[in-house]
Amino acid sequence: MDEFNREALSYVDSLYGTALRLTRRPADAEDLVQDTYLKAFRAASQFRRGTNLKAWLFTILHNTYRNMRRHDGRNPVEVDSEYVDQAPQPAHEYTPEQLLTRNTLDADLQQALDALPEAFRQAVWLRDVEELTYAEIAQVLDVPIGTVMSRISRGRRALFERLQPRRVATAEAEKTM
Amino acid sequence: MSKCQDLDPLFAPYVDGDVAPADRASVEAHLAKCPPCRGRVAEQRTVRAVLEARRPALRACGSGALHERCAAQAGARNPRRFLGSATFARRWVPLSVAATIVLAVAGVFLFSPNDKVEALATQLTVDHMTCFQFAPERLRHADAVTAEHDWLAKQRWDIRVPASSAANDLELLGVRRCGFGNSRVAHILYKWHGQPLSVFVVPRTVRNAPLEEEIDKFGHEAIMWSDHDRTYVILARARPAELAPVVGYVKAHAQ
Repeated sequence: MDEFNREALSYVDSLYGTALRLTRRPADAEDLVQDTYLKAFRAASQFRRGTNLKAWLFTILHNTYRNMRRHDGRNPVEVDSEYVDQAPQPAHEYTPEQLLTRNTLDADLQQALDALPEAFRQAVWLRDVEELTYAEIAQVLDVPIGTVMSRISRGRRALFERLQPRRVATAEAEKTM
Repeated sequence: MSKCQDLDPLFAPYVDGDVAPADRASVEAHLAKCPPCRGRVAEQRTVRAVLEARRPALRACGSGALHERCAAQAGARNPRRFLGSATFARRWVPLSVAATIVLAVAGVFLFSPNDKVEALATQLTVDHMTCFQFAPERLRHADAVTAEHDWLAKQRWDIRVPASSAANDLELLGVRRCGFGNSRVAHILYKWHGQPLSVFVVPRTVRNAPLEEEIDKFGHEAIMWSDHDRTYVILARARPAELAPVVGYVKAHAQ
């Protein structure tokens, strides 16, 4: 197995995790990742050495997902630009760090992520979990870099809002114990 | 647009320490006099810190089987023949060209589906060609019972998958999901006398009469009929008379 194959296959878990966030079904996520590798290996000669192979694979994954959605007759990614603006401001009884880092459960976080509008979820996930750069995310999602910044900004705040009520409720419950 | 809205997109790269020096100065000057924006930046810092801390738990692990399947795709870097069949491989080149033409022409039918039968036949011809063209490596001999079980588990509606038949020189290769309008169509793929043959099951009645209808689409013959609440389509490059035994076999085993 050559270096390209070896490095490409080291990202199976990353791609699967991202595919799972996109499709939300393990079987569909596995199919998506397998299709991604099939296309990646076929197009291996088009990969430019010295660029980020992980970002290149993510680009193929997202393109494949978009095509899959079109094929299924589902709508393309929708961005609810009013989503964050209309969210109510939380009461800051506690510092955000106290609220989130003490009590956040992984299941809550997964649920809050899944509840985000898809465009925001993808951008935040690629940045904060998969650690891609802004330029790489722009390439993966095929949007301008300014849009990436805006989506991450709004996505993080929406995620904060989603987690906040639970944290307040949990903190209140702890205080009464 | 207010200064706050102007600067909002910069808060993400600012929190990440990934903002240009000039932009950083603008953001910091604004934050110094805008408590609401300071709150927004603090929220972003918090979310980023939480996600960073929870990365290991958030990241999923693919199964061992998935790793193996992905590794197996590495063989795609070297062109290989579909199913090892020379006849099948030779047919592939003209099929690719034809598929491109069909994809271009199909839109005319799909965006003006005055006749549902015509529109369905066109769509399914496109699916037949693209599924066989773009995923040949995934098509191998398949077991009908397993295919039925997998389909039910994934798609939540039941279909009968006719098994391979030596008498008809028909080999089952698998089942895929295709789309037609708002319907999910079961696409059952076969190798028939070394050629691609598709059986489609549409979970609704597209036409009223149960009689077979023959529709010629781009050199392919589609035999279509409805039974109860489903429509069945058999599609291949063949004359209707040649397809008759397969139609009989599918009717006996798919309904």
